[in-house]
Amino acid sequence: MKLIKTKEENLEENYLELHYDTIDEETNAVLDRLRDTLRYIEGTYEDKKVTIALTDIFYIETVDRITFAYTEDMCVEVKEALRDILEEYSKIGFVRISKSAIVNIYKIKKLQGDINMRVIIFLKNDEKLMMNRSYKNDFYARLNDLQGRKAK
Amino acid sequence: MKLINKRNFVSIVCIFFTLITCGKLLLEKAYGFTDKYYTDNIFTILAFSVLITLILSLHFYLQKFPFLLVLIAQYALTVGIVFLAIFIHGQFSENAPTAYWDMFISITIPFIVGALAYYICFFVQIKKANRILEELE
Repeated sequence: MKLIKTKEENLEENYLELHYDTIDEETNAVLDRLRDTLRYIEGTYEDKKVTIALTDIFYIETVDRITFAYTEDMCVEVKEALRDILEEYSKIGFVRISKSAIVNIYKIKKLQGDINMRVIIFLKNDEKLMMNRSYKNDFYARLNDLQGRKAK
Repeated sequence: MKLINKRNFVSIVCIFFTLITCGKLLLEKAYGFTDKYYTDNIFTILAFSVLITLILSLHFYLQKFPFLLVLIAQYALTVGIVFLAIFIHGQFSENAPTAYWDMFISITIPFIVGALAYYICFFVQIKKANRILEELE
């Protein structure tokens, strides 16, 4: 399978186009990964129903049993429980960092440790999150998985 | 993840016991020291190995508390139990004159080395994770 990237000026939205005769195993694997990545989630923002791409979410947290998904400029209330979101979308980079929060690994700028062995997560939108020590090993394992997938 | 559980508890006690005993014998050989309380000390090492494994196994349940606080509490608990055991032992038979000091050193050095190793691993892990995050970009 070949990958051809073409730069086009003034394009409204990036798009992928697949040219095929038959969809073989390799193509199917690529499509599977794309299907996961290009998924959307519904929620409520300022009393209006909105649909947001999972790739736009920085982190999701539960406050008083209500789940909120945070994007660059929105805090969207979603119906799904944190555990269900994690089960369904962990493949695309969501990982638990505390009892009440999961983060999108692709939205992390850097990590920093503090003296109490907690990890401070700096996000690309300049927000800071705290990772509990008990979730550290799972986080690193997930990160290694994603690195492995990228290397393949 | 629970590192010390019912299944591996005895194996970890055995590892501690072997390492401490080997360390003791090597030091004695190096300094040409003859241990007058050899049998007593072997059983003390066994009791100490069980105690330290028990205390370290609590670490899993204390992860929500600040690490420094947990480390200091575990250290204080170990020292307290060991000193109490020396005191009780002293009521029934004679303790070595430096018993308290020797045990204090025997506890403090492994705790400091262990804490340092833990800290170094922690920051190395973060450095590695930051490198992976850069690669994912």
